[in-house]
Amino acid sequence: MSKWQSSKQQWIYGRRLIEALRAARSGRTGPCVIKKAADSALALSVRGQSRWSRAILFGPCKPKVKLKACSRIPRHRPFLSPGKLAGAQMKGRKVRGRLRVLSRLVPGCKKLPAASVLSETADYVAALQMRVGLALSQHYARAC
Amino acid sequence: MEPARCSGAGSGNSGTYATEITETLRLEEIESLMDVNVIHQGFEGSSPENAGGSSFTALLGLHPSQAVELLHELDPSSSGGFRLGDPKAIHFPLSCSPTFPSNAALIERATRFSVFAAAEESPEGSSAFPSNSDGDHSPNPKSDPPDSDLKPQRLAKRKETDKSSKAKTPSKKGKSTAGDDGEGSPANPDDDKLPYVHVRARRGQATDSHSLAERARREKINARMKLLQELVPGCSKISGTALVLDEIINHVQLLQRQVEILSMRLAAVNPRIDFTGLDNLLSAECGRVTASGHGPGWVDGSCNGVIRRSHHYDNQQQIWHVDLQQQETAGWERDETQQLLHHHVFISGSSSGSPPGTSLFGYDSAASALPLSTQLKSEM
Repeated sequence: MSKWQSSKQQWIYGRRLIEALRAARSGRTGPCVIKKAADSALALSVRGQSRWSRAILFGPCKPKVKLKACSRIPRHRPFLSPGKLAGAQMKGRKVRGRLRVLSRLVPGCKKLPAASVLSETADYVAALQMRVGLALSQHYARAC
Repeated sequence: MEPARCSGAGSGNSGTYATEITETLRLEEIESLMDVNVIHQGFEGSSPENAGGSSFTALLGLHPSQAVELLHELDPSSSGGFRLGDPKAIHFPLSCSPTFPSNAALIERATRFSVFAAAEESPEGSSAFPSNSDGDHSPNPKSDPPDSDLKPQRLAKRKETDKSSKAKTPSKKGKSTAGDDGEGSPANPDDDKLPYVHVRARRGQATDSHSLAERARREKINARMKLLQELVPGCSKISGTALVLDEIINHVQLLQRQVEILSMRLAAVNPRIDFTGLDNLLSAECGRVTASGHGPGWVDGSCNGVIRRSHHYDNQQQIWHVDLQQQETAGWERDETQQLLHHHVFISGSSSGSPPGTSLFGYDSAASALPLSTQLKSEM
């Protein structure tokens, strides 16, 4: 989303990240690293407008980014019927299945209607892209 | 907060500030729950420049001028800050002038509102959440009442528009000319008493309330799918909802893994960095570093300003170099990150589409680079 591409937004995220890292500087083990990731995700999502950011903030006691690598997509390539765009088509079984998978991936979207899941996903993807870009550039800054 | 809101609404680009008001309101509620003042400062600092607006509305496939026009319309209704408590506030512009012929242009916007207003349901339904919950409940029970409030309303509107649409020559949704709407208006002046969202039936389609509601819902979903397709690289060529969703799922998983790996690497490299000087350094130099790829010389040069703040910095710099050599994350993680980095270097050297202005972490080049990098990764 355009919001995540503004430099101001990135700056805000950077400040939050720095504060979160400062606050969580104790310990260097694996879980703490993930916690740092979660904190920066929290810092990122503190805008509070989207559902997934609220789910991260107010969710279970350990807000962690869900890494659903196990949610495999059943691909039946030989039997793939020609997919039509959903012009007048009711949601097929495959589409519904993928929507369910997607709602599991995005935090806080478990029981949402399809439109909300899609909008939350869009926001989430934009936020993640910004975050990955920032982390990459930080990595470069230190690697030089 | 009231004067700040109204001043924000009055000055400059009213379209974007209307949505900022919404953001202010939502942030306030979250503040009351979280009791974090820093957010407020951050938002205050960002409000004069925020041109992004509410995320869903800006990318519903409307042109920016149309979106601004729509938001400009919302401005009189939202300047009082009513958007949160009143989901009907978005319909005020429709009802503010009861006679249609004088506001033929209003109808055009009203038809656009059919997508826009429907999209407003979820942000507003979700905006009810912070005010209601204690933080443990899922947002769904809270957002359901606003949604269910809106739905019978919209169905009632559909019935009203049915009569108008059957009586008129069928016109395409959203593109009806002012003339047609002008013809329709004197026949049904009662439609405007209540805030309605008008959906035009297309030629040859059923016009009962259920199918209209379904069609509106489908249009909403298709609009969001298109939005997602634009966001995820490589999805524009794919036709078919299921395959596009496949790509989106893959992309989300990829991004999550990248985030995990990168944050682990960064945390491994920097065990105890003092960040007081680091943010200055990053803000000043990172853009140029990622673009030009200079060696450690620039770091030494810019350290002079930084060293005043933190004495550990140059020592830590050596620590970084040592750590980079020593701490190697094993196996595939390292390979994957190296691939990421190599792609990024390759693309940032060749990318030219970065928008003007320096952002904090040189993200402008990274933003254009990153979709390409992930696309390369997916193509590999």
